Amino acid sequence: MPSTQTPPLAGTAIDPPSLRPPIDDAVIERVEPSALRERLSALKAEGYTMLLDLGAVDYPERTPRFDVVYHLLKMPARAASVSEVGKPARTRLLCAVDGANPRLPSVMDLWSSADWAEREVFDLFGIIFEGHRDLRRIQLPYDWEGHPLRKDYPTRGAARERSPRPAFANKMNVQAGTPPSGRTLEALQEQIKRAREADSK
Amino acid sequence: MGLACCAIEMMTVTSSEYDIARLGSEVFRSSPRQADLMIVSGRVAWKMAPVVKRLYDQMADPKWVISMGACASSGGIFDNYAIVQGIDTIVPVDVYVPGCPPTPDGLLYAVNLIQQQIREGGRGGILARS
Amino acid sequence: MSMSTQPLTPEIVSQEGNAMVLSMGPQHPSTHGVLQIMLEIEGESVVKAEPEIGYLHTGIEKTAESLFWSQAQTVIERMDYLAPSSNALCYALAVEKLLGVTDRIPERAQIVRVLLMELTRIASHCVWLGTHGIDLGAISVFFYCFDLRENVLDMQEATGGARMHPNYVRVGGLNGDLPDGYANRLDAFIEKFPGRMRELRGLLQANPIFQDRTIDVGILPIEEALKWNVTGPSLRGSGIAYDVRKAFPYCGYETYDFDVPTRTEGDAYARFLVRLDEMEQSHRIIRQARERLEKPGSVLLDDPKIVAPPKETIALSMEALIHHFKIVSEGFRVPPGDVYQSVESPRGELGYYIVSNGENRPYRVRTRPPSMYNLQALKGIAPGNLIADLVVMIGSLDPVFGEVDR
Repeated sequence: MPSTQTPPLAGTAIDPPSLRPPIDDAVIERVEPSALRERLSALKAEGYTMLLDLGAVDYPERTPRFDVVYHLLKMPARAASVSEVGKPARTRLLCAVDGANPRLPSVMDLWSSADWAEREVFDLFGIIFEGHRDLRRIQLPYDWEGHPLRKDYPTRGAARERSPRPAFANKMNVQAGTPPSGRTLEALQEQIKRAREADSK
Repeated sequence: MGLACCAIEMMTVTSSEYDIARLGSEVFRSSPRQADLMIVSGRVAWKMAPVVKRLYDQMADPKWVISMGACASSGGIFDNYAIVQGIDTIVPVDVYVPGCPPTPDGLLYAVNLIQQQIREGGRGGILARS
Repeated sequence: MSMSTQPLTPEIVSQEGNAMVLSMGPQHPSTHGVLQIMLEIEGESVVKAEPEIGYLHTGIEKTAESLFWSQAQTVIERMDYLAPSSNALCYALAVEKLLGVTDRIPERAQIVRVLLMELTRIASHCVWLGTHGIDLGAISVFFYCFDLRENVLDMQEATGGARMHPNYVRVGGLNGDLPDGYANRLDAFIEKFPGRMRELRGLLQANPIFQDRTIDVGILPIEEALKWNVTGPSLRGSGIAYDVRKAFPYCGYETYDFDVPTRTEGDAYARFLVRLDEMEQSHRIIRQARERLEKPGSVLLDDPKIVAPPKETIALSMEALIHHFKIVSEGFRVPPGDVYQSVESPRGELGYYIVSNGENRPYRVRTRPPSMYNLQALKGIAPGNLIADLVVMIGSLDPVFGEVDR
């Protein structure tokens, strides 16, 4: 069992699904954007009737910057009792999208539920889905600028960064392993050095 | 104006356990033209803010506003890009009710304070601590 | 023209016939929250319905990325505000899977989690029934339902300190054992429930006006339901018995004896009956959980790196003090990876896709909101119905906008 005190991976989140064996019951697969529609149509023909969810993750330190995650469920169309439903198979499809010009084909025609999910990913991340009938912002006002769930968008909003909260009240300052007051050994040595220089002047 | 979790507590105030009807305030009008009091209960997103302002403008004078809950009073636990940090930036508020969500007793006390304000003629933000 | 007015795209405004575009919402008396529906209507009947959401967008997923793992639970609990314990449970289960401690959660904690989940389900269905009744003009139902809900809220307040967002289910177990006197309250509730359930059924189920307004209204065929990714009681009302508690059991649900009510008609009346039956099944599970509560045990995971040790040991043990300090000031760290965890919330399959990159904060918390997908089905089933039927349909799909907009 991995220890909770292993040092973090220096802040990089390269590809979490590949870092350890799957811990939930889904079959995880990675697919290229060019092969995405083909793979999804094949999965749909195999019986994956439900697109449970469509989300995205932003890894700014990695070259294909975004990961769009499709969760699929193999639900039989005729399943009137619990035993007929059984334990449906789950699949997770991850598709890495480039950060400079993020585009993916839309899967609205395969599963209608992708309509709002793709609009939300466009709204919050800026990934454009080609072939979507009506790709506009869904969660934020129509004239909002920026895509909030990207890692370079400040949590408090662009307008309020001019009046930042005091440093001690911002939990973002507390990195794992760093004392919140900033009193590390290096800072102390720096302080001693500056004091000695001030003394010797 | 039932927006989020506080709206459920606002509905609970009309239920039999807390019963706002005994204070004479049981009728929740759908139309702002016929209302005297606007209770903003819940977090106000930036997309909803112009709607809140428009509804306030549509109310006829004299009108009062209760800001129910931490999110309506100050942004609450959501100090981020999406939530208006206190509706007193868009509409004038008469009574603030703290809590996340406030208990229905708190809202009853706030209505009491509004009635007190109407009787005594004072206006302005009062904190309903319950 | 205010900022939030829908720009009328050519699709929505049709140039021929008697069609009129009406914006229903975002503030309207049907007390389901902030939903705006752009309706294209001819007379009273709906030609096209395009719901507009986002009026309650809170940026919860973004805020959770800047809080510690245990703090993020407070914002996440406020998504589905009618069933807060289900959000908390799903998040706790997901993080426990990432930590690898799912097998070490004590049994008593699992029992209480199941108990809270089912109590929350009853409370949420009470709000649904009360507001559904009010939408249709049956105002007495509202008072009966909210009175039943008060019992559940009292119990939640006893455990967690707050009526609606108790924050009692935590990563690693619960926030402490059940208080004294809780068992008595629970017994009183179990006694009271069947009688109250009979009254609720008696008020609406055989009422000819209610039946006229809900039978054959908002029919959701199976193909449509699968296409729009509907889950929960709305899917079970259409004929597919998919319940996450049976298909992918968690917290020991496989050891409890309960049925999954399913109907085939797919109309609003079927969904109404499914939810009422579900409340009775929840009662059944609560009775079983109550028997298991007799055996005492711990409710917290025994891992000082994740769960703070009891406060009493701080004065006695240096390690306990250090662990406590580290957990409070820095939070625990979760090994990198990703997980998808789902539970059966009163609305459907609530899922969290959580990504961790090894630090003390979540990297990404993506919610699979059941209400958003259930609400999307409105686009498919609304055309052809009257505006009054639209109100019935929204009520029977039971959306919660904290979850839809997050």
